[in-house]
Formats: sequence, C-alpha cells, structure tokens
Amino acid sequence: MNAVIDVQHLKKTFNKETALQDVSFTIQKGEIFGFLGPSGSGKTTTIKILTAQSEKTDGDVLLFGRPANEMKQSNNRKRFGILTDNSGLYTRLSIEENLLLFSNLYQLPKSSVKEALDFVNLYGDRKKKISQLSKGMMQRVTLARAIMHKPELLFLDEPTSALDPVNTQHIYNGLRKLNEMGTTIFLTTHDMSEAEILCDRVAFLHKGKIRAIGAPKDLKKEFGDESITVELKNGTSEVIQNGKQDAEKLFHWMQSNEVSRIYTNEPTLGNIFMQITGSDLV
Amino acid sequence: MNISMTRIQAILMKDYKEFSRNYAVSVMVLMPLVMAFFINKSGSTTIAAYFITINIAFSMVTAYVQCCLIAEEKEKNTLRSLMLSPASLSDILIGKSLFVLILTMVVVALTIYIVGYSPANLFILAITLILSTVFYIAIGTLCGLFAKTVMEGSLIILPVIFIFPFGPSALAFSSNFPILKIAEWLPSSQLVLLAESLEGTYTTMDVIIPIATIIAWSLVAWIVTGFIYKKRMVD
Repeated sequence: MNAVIDVQHLKKTFNKETALQDVSFTIQKGEIFGFLGPSGSGKTTTIKILTAQSEKTDGDVLLFGRPANEMKQSNNRKRFGILTDNSGLYTRLSIEENLLLFSNLYQLPKSSVKEALDFVNLYGDRKKKISQLSKGMMQRVTLARAIMHKPELLFLDEPTSALDPVNTQHIYNGLRKLNEMGTTIFLTTHDMSEAEILCDRVAFLHKGKIRAIGAPKDLKKEFGDESITVELKNGTSEVIQNGKQDAEKLFHWMQSNEVSRIYTNEPTLGNIFMQITGSDLV
Repeated sequence: MNISMTRIQAILMKDYKEFSRNYAVSVMVLMPLVMAFFINKSGSTTIAAYFITINIAFSMVTAYVQCCLIAEEKEKNTLRSLMLSPASLSDILIGKSLFVLILTMVVVALTIYIVGYSPANLFILAITLILSTVFYIAIGTLCGLFAKTVMEGSLIILPVIFIFPFGPSALAFSSNFPILKIAEWLPSSQLVLLAESLEGTYTTMDVIIPIATIIAWSLVAWIVTGFIYKKRMVD
C-alpha cells in the first residue's frame, strides 16, 4: 500500500497558542479518511498545512511521499482538489463561467465542465449567476470545481453541511464513485452518520490532539457495549447481555410472542467521541 | 519562471467579465475622461494641465481598479482558490495586471485625445507611459494585498490618488517649502518633466533620467509586491 498522506508529530502554533500537538496519521491510497472534531479542534489548520496554505511549526508532513510544502508547485496542485466551507466563487459570473475558468487553469477539455456539472446535478442551472444561488447550490459548484480535474487526493471540509437529503445522497454516490476510481478522500465533518456511511477510517481530533483513530466498526467494538435491548409488547424494555441466562430469557419471550422490537446498543461515533473527550462534537 | 499563456488568458477574461459587471469600480474609468473634457473646454494647453489628467488616469484607473480587483479576490476568498489551482504566482499577477494594463492604455489614449495633446515624440512618450502603468499596477496590487475588503482597499489607495497626480503641482511651492523638492522624484513628476523636455530641444539625459527613475520605482514596487504576496498568502 502507498501512503498518500503521512503526518508524523505535527505541531502548529499561532502566536504561542498551540493549534495542533503531536498529530500523527497515515492515509493509504484509495482510503476515505474522516477527520472528526468540534469547531476549533484543528481540522481546517491540518488541511491548510497539507495543502501548503499554512506552514507547520514542527513535525513531518508528506503528500505522495514528498514534503507538503512542494504542493505549492504548479504541477503538484493538479494532484489534489479541495472543497472548503468558504466557497471562493466569482459571484458575478455564472456557474459555467466559474468552471470554465478553472477548466482553463487546469488545462482540461471543455467537456470536463459538463462532466463536473452532471456529477453535482447542476447542468440545467449552468447559466445561473453564483449570486443567485442558495448556499447548498454554491457548495455543489465548489465540489464540481474540486473534482473536475479528477484529482488523486480530495480534501473535503464539511462537504454536505448545507445540502438537503436528496443532494447529500447524490454527493455520497458521487464520492463513492470517485473513490472506486482511485481517488483518496480526506474528509472533515461534524456529521457522524456521514462519517459512518463514507469513511474507511476516522480520527477524533480534540483540542489539537488525535484522541482515537481507526475503522468505525473497530472503534465501536473497542468502546462499545455488546448488550441488546428488547422491547416487549407490554411496553417494558429489557437490556440483555451475552450469556446463557439472558439467552434463555430472550428465547422465552420469543416463544411466547412477547417481543415487539430488538436493537443493539452499539454506540454511535458521536457517543464514542463524547466518551473519549468528555465533550460534544458541535 | 512558470508561465502559461492559457492560464494568463483565462484570468484576463475572467477579470474583464467581472469588471464589466461591477459598476461601482468600472465607473472610475469615466473620471479622467470627464476631467480631460473640462481641461479641453477650459482652453488650457500646458503640459502640466494635460498630465494632471493622465496622472489621474494612472492613479484612479490603474492603481485604484487593480487595488479593488485584488481586494475583492481576497474578500471573497477567490484569490485563495486561484492559488490552489495550477496557476503560478506569475500567471496570477500577469493575468490580473494585463487586464488593467489594457484598460489603462485605452483610457490614457482617450484622455490624450480629449485634452487635445499631440506629443512631439510619441514613441518615447508611449514607452514612458507603459512603464508608468507597470509602476501603478504594482502600487495597486500592493494596496490590494494589504486590504481585507474592497472598502478597505478604497481607503488604503487614497494616498496614492492624492500624492502621485498632485505631486508635480506641489513643486510650485518648493521655493517656500524646500522639502517639497522631493516630489520631483515621483514617477508622476518625472513623466511631466520628460514630456516638457520632449516639446523642446532635449539631451539624452533628459530622457534617460525620467525613464530610469520610473523603472527604479517599478522594480522596487514589484519586488515588494512579490514579497508581500508570498507572505500574505501563507498563514
């Protein structure tokens, strides 16, 4: 496996205030990696360092095996795409004019604009000016711009924060398709369900430090509870554990047709985050 | 230096479209033309009068428009988007400057036509005007880089709008206030001195000194601009 991103002991300070402390993680080619943390935890700072918009204070940061600082070079910038919460679109230009500009900057064929617009379901609205768009539509234009050159690595900072469920699903499908084609995705989000749906691995970032890292199912196993809850038709509910005694109880309820609903008590990623850090994700 | 004509052209076209739809900034183009019209109607035929309007064109069109274009890119975070694309520093700066260069050439040519000035040596004057444009673009870019918003940019550029066009006029008071002699070395004053020399018999030094002074101002301004651009664009 090739490491697309390799971060070791990353430290970043702003005027003596520590934003990131001893952050280490590796992302392999083809992974979807979720960086989860509340506002101000250092997610955007990490993306800025990885994309050479900000300089690290200490540590090693490699992208595609080269120092992240080399991402300033024109040819290296073609290797990644980025979507941030601050769209950076030209509001007096139309959707199509914005994408045409970037298609020329990346020296792509004109057909790349249509492909990107189809991807975000905006081809029909291509003549609309950016100033006339909703926040969700702007987010989709920014995503189209980020993927139009088919980057090897995609940075997504809260990609579906302003989208409705239909478009969110559309974006998820598209991201999976991109990932199947080999694009590695680095995603930051507050949305735990989004992380569970999309990510192969996640890292919990809290106050500039990584508190846990792993596949969602492994984290759930490590920090979770193996009990199940049984809701009975008489309105009561019982939590039962692994073991002969509880298995017999469950068998009895099922045999006497008393069971209304059964569900696992598997924690969500949000529960695990709270368990580890003692604070909420928002 | 990594330069791509496709990228420069893309940025130039984008700036043209944005500028033509931004009436708050594009209206500034009319200022020197209106002034030129009044100077023509006043019957004033001195080089100093002609060059007040030309120097106003440089400060109000070249420097001001460039400053607003850069400040707006910063305000809307679009400069960051350009920087994250494969466009190099040179592509971005040349692309953004080229539009203002073309705009300035058109406005200055119209200003010269409206005031009714026919230069004795058009070739030397044209070269000096282009060099002056390069200087004012650098000053506009620099002011734009210091501004966070267009509003802030409009304030930061004010000293440029006052000092450079009216600097040559300040020389008239230099006998009473010797400190004002320094205004002689402004690029705007050098431009007036050159134009006045061209109207009579002139020596090579009468041409070289103003041109060298304007080149020196331009070089310093662009070096500082490049340095500030790199510094401001990395957190």
